[in-house]
Amino acid sequence: MNRPGPDPLTSSTFSQRAHEQLGKPFLRRAVPKATDHAYNALRDRFRDHDYDALREQGRRIRADAVEHLDEHLATLVAALERNGVSVHRAADDARAREIIRGIVRDAGGRRVVKVKSMASEEIGLNPALEADGVEVVETDLGEYVVQLDHDRPSHIIAPIIHKTRGEVRDSLSRVAGRELPDDAAALTGFARDTLREAFLTADVGISGANFGIAETGTICLVTNEGNGRMCTSLPRVHISLMGIERVLPRLEDLAVMLPLLTGAGTGQLITTYVSLLSGPRRPGEPDGPREMHVVLLDNGRSALRGGAYQDVLHCIRCGACQNVCPVYRQVGGHAYGWVYGGPIGAVLTPLFRGMDAGGELPHASTLCGACDDVCPVKIPIHDLLHGLRSDRVRGDAAPRAERVASSLWSLAWSNPWTYRASVTFARVGTRAAARVPSGLVRRVPGAARWLDGRDLPGGPRPGGRR
Amino acid sequence: MRPRIDPARLAAIAPTELRPGEDAVARFVAEVEAVAGTAEVVARGDAVDAAERAVLAHRPLRVVLAADLDARREALAGRLETVGVEVVHYEQADRATVAEADVAVTGCVAAVAATGSIVTGGAAGRGGALIAPVHVCLVERRRLFDGLLDVLRALPAIGVGSALSFQSGPSRTADIEKTLILGMHGPKAVHVVVVEGDADS
Amino acid sequence: MPASTASTVTVFPTCLGDIAMPDVVGQTTRALAACGYAPRLARGVTCCGQPGYNSGFDADARRVAKASLAALDRTEGPIVVPAGSCASMMHLHWRELFRGSRHERAAIRVSQRVRELTTLLAERADRLATLGLAWPGTVAYHDSCHMLRELGISDAPRAVLGTVAGLTVVPTAVAPRCCGFGGTFSVRYPEVSVAMADATLDDARVAQVDAVISADPGCIMHLDARSGRRGDTPRVVHIATLLAEAGLR
Repeated sequence: MNRPGPDPLTSSTFSQRAHEQLGKPFLRRAVPKATDHAYNALRDRFRDHDYDALREQGRRIRADAVEHLDEHLATLVAALERNGVSVHRAADDARAREIIRGIVRDAGGRRVVKVKSMASEEIGLNPALEADGVEVVETDLGEYVVQLDHDRPSHIIAPIIHKTRGEVRDSLSRVAGRELPDDAAALTGFARDTLREAFLTADVGISGANFGIAETGTICLVTNEGNGRMCTSLPRVHISLMGIERVLPRLEDLAVMLPLLTGAGTGQLITTYVSLLSGPRRPGEPDGPREMHVVLLDNGRSALRGGAYQDVLHCIRCGACQNVCPVYRQVGGHAYGWVYGGPIGAVLTPLFRGMDAGGELPHASTLCGACDDVCPVKIPIHDLLHGLRSDRVRGDAAPRAERVASSLWSLAWSNPWTYRASVTFARVGTRAAARVPSGLVRRVPGAARWLDGRDLPGGPRPGGRR
Repeated sequence: MRPRIDPARLAAIAPTELRPGEDAVARFVAEVEAVAGTAEVVARGDAVDAAERAVLAHRPLRVVLAADLDARREALAGRLETVGVEVVHYEQADRATVAEADVAVTGCVAAVAATGSIVTGGAAGRGGALIAPVHVCLVERRRLFDGLLDVLRALPAIGVGSALSFQSGPSRTADIEKTLILGMHGPKAVHVVVVEGDADS
Repeated sequence: MPASTASTVTVFPTCLGDIAMPDVVGQTTRALAACGYAPRLARGVTCCGQPGYNSGFDADARRVAKASLAALDRTEGPIVVPAGSCASMMHLHWRELFRGSRHERAAIRVSQRVRELTTLLAERADRLATLGLAWPGTVAYHDSCHMLRELGISDAPRAVLGTVAGLTVVPTAVAPRCCGFGGTFSVRYPEVSVAMADATLDDARVAQVDAVISADPGCIMHLDARSGRRGDTPRVVHIATLLAEAGLR
């Protein structure tokens, strides 16, 4: 999958990207519809259950996992190795790519099938493998279409939430070499047949890991399509790329984490498939890979431990915060400029990519707190967003114009007399502005930003009733 | 050390556990049907009959049978061959043969009442239940667990091999404009036969 | 606090009340008086500091909030705020903002006295109900995010609206959803902010309500300004304004 062109995060602003997304009529209809659907499903799922109490249990499990991460990782590594798994540790994205390329090369891999993995998006794995002449096939239907279009996923669990059926049809028709019918069942059928061939002939299967169970040395994968199970059953080598924070101490922790992950993500009681993978094929078993590798990816995660943002490591990538976010709902995932969109993306991106690249994103939120209310592990997302805003100011990374404006505001409003004077000035100004040509008013700094789409506050309402 | 999960507390708050006094078989059947699967409950002596009926309903040419059917595999194979269906044993067949099968029949190491899940692993293999468009699964009543916590706690003792798969209804996707389509990569139809009675082979 | 005695309350007008909605401040005072409180307008106050605080400029926010804190610390009794978001800032975040400073104790003292307007009115809903208030029509109530999620207030404004004869409150959106104001967000990302307002206003239009009511001047200023520009959606007014229109004097 080659994605030509500059990095959207550093070559454009959130405003510019949001502007582009707001101009897409289908996205404007589809994202609210799909996200409302997911949120309603979550609400229905827990209507007769105490979601708050369950997510408190989830929070405790994740807090324990992250607080004692070194210990749990040591247990996980030992258990995986006992199960015959080769474990590799990657400090950063470059090292992770190098390790995986090496495993594929050693296995003589020509064709790789992949299960949707945000971590592999994070490290830009596919272009690296393709540079080695390896054919990489994404097998989640949505990710497959994303790959065909050289696009990016725009939602953690619904990668083509932004695409119409017509666009999917065009992409798949190019593969088919003929015009496919405009029908979701027929398009899905074509993708199934094409990908079935890939499953049966691939040498290597690459997945992420929803969880790594320390006590038993088990990688847990959840899917609805069954591609997770295909990719880890048929090819002779299985590689799982796991963010180090995704460890769970005990197998029984899944009894809390699975209903939280699937309930928060899609409203399902459980996903259609949950695979628990504890090593390569054993004697007496009829199938399974000859080799299993787990690549533990750090890439900035351990640096967050012990700091103000440790809680973000509790995230289980369910997408629920995207579904309730009123900003995401309007602009979709691509506006955030990197692989993680929505509220959690606005926290992760500056932490993983640095303040210079991602420091603007925490402002792409109204701090409404809807994400906090829905997060299945109770990450205080809006506190983290606020903290990152403060850090940006403290680190002198805020733009100069903002710093000047804030200083002036603070100077004027820290004293009752100058406050009164500025209030009077603003009131008179607003009243006067209603009577002068709008072109003049728009020259006042910042006024145009309000007046594009809105009237002056308190002005006459020609269209209003009463 | 964080304390272990309290089963009674979890049952009160998680939808993936049974409510106190809830009937496990009835809930299991309801949950399988809720995810577009089908299920029936049969007496011990009727297990092979039920499996045969379920398989033949799909008019298959080739059927794959998994090793975890144990003694029932020979009985079922005999019945199917009598009516002209080609039978292959999963662990003995090559991939291309399995890929052309119409129906796969497996047992399971466990099932979960509250989620409508069957759990395959070990002798059934990883791909056995997955490749054919129709999956028929035999579930022993005594292997039906109430909820997720029960089954997760029991798994290490069951000794289930390198891979376990929880499967709840047919494979599905809603990636294209949220339209639900069954049978993405796995089977598009799943039928579960719950076998009552205590004895076991 | 027995309902019979006229207890003194201090009204904190907020910056948006001072600049954009002076009527709301007066209507707030009259509503409190009608409920048997003895309201006094706070003197020497400025803003709660939220614009700076939410933008990450904590030191600037502290400087602004300090002026209001000092003035309010010289008063006694409940401090009434006719703005959910400011009430939340003062009640919850002032402690954080002043933590470790020499104003910390004052911040704790004052924050404990801060009350959101509708909670005080709702406590005397019985009295409001005897005033013969009437406003024939249907309205949608827009929950302010901070008021709803940080302060947990959702029943009080509805109880207040329930004292008005002829008034029907209809539910609109799937979930209470942010209108897109977000303080500086509304000028930082005007296009997204306006798109979010449209989502809220579209829901109101579909519900065919006569007005959208809220208890937060930020949401109201933003939504009403957008509604004014569109011309096809209902006006957006403060709950104290609605009470005044319903005949409270």
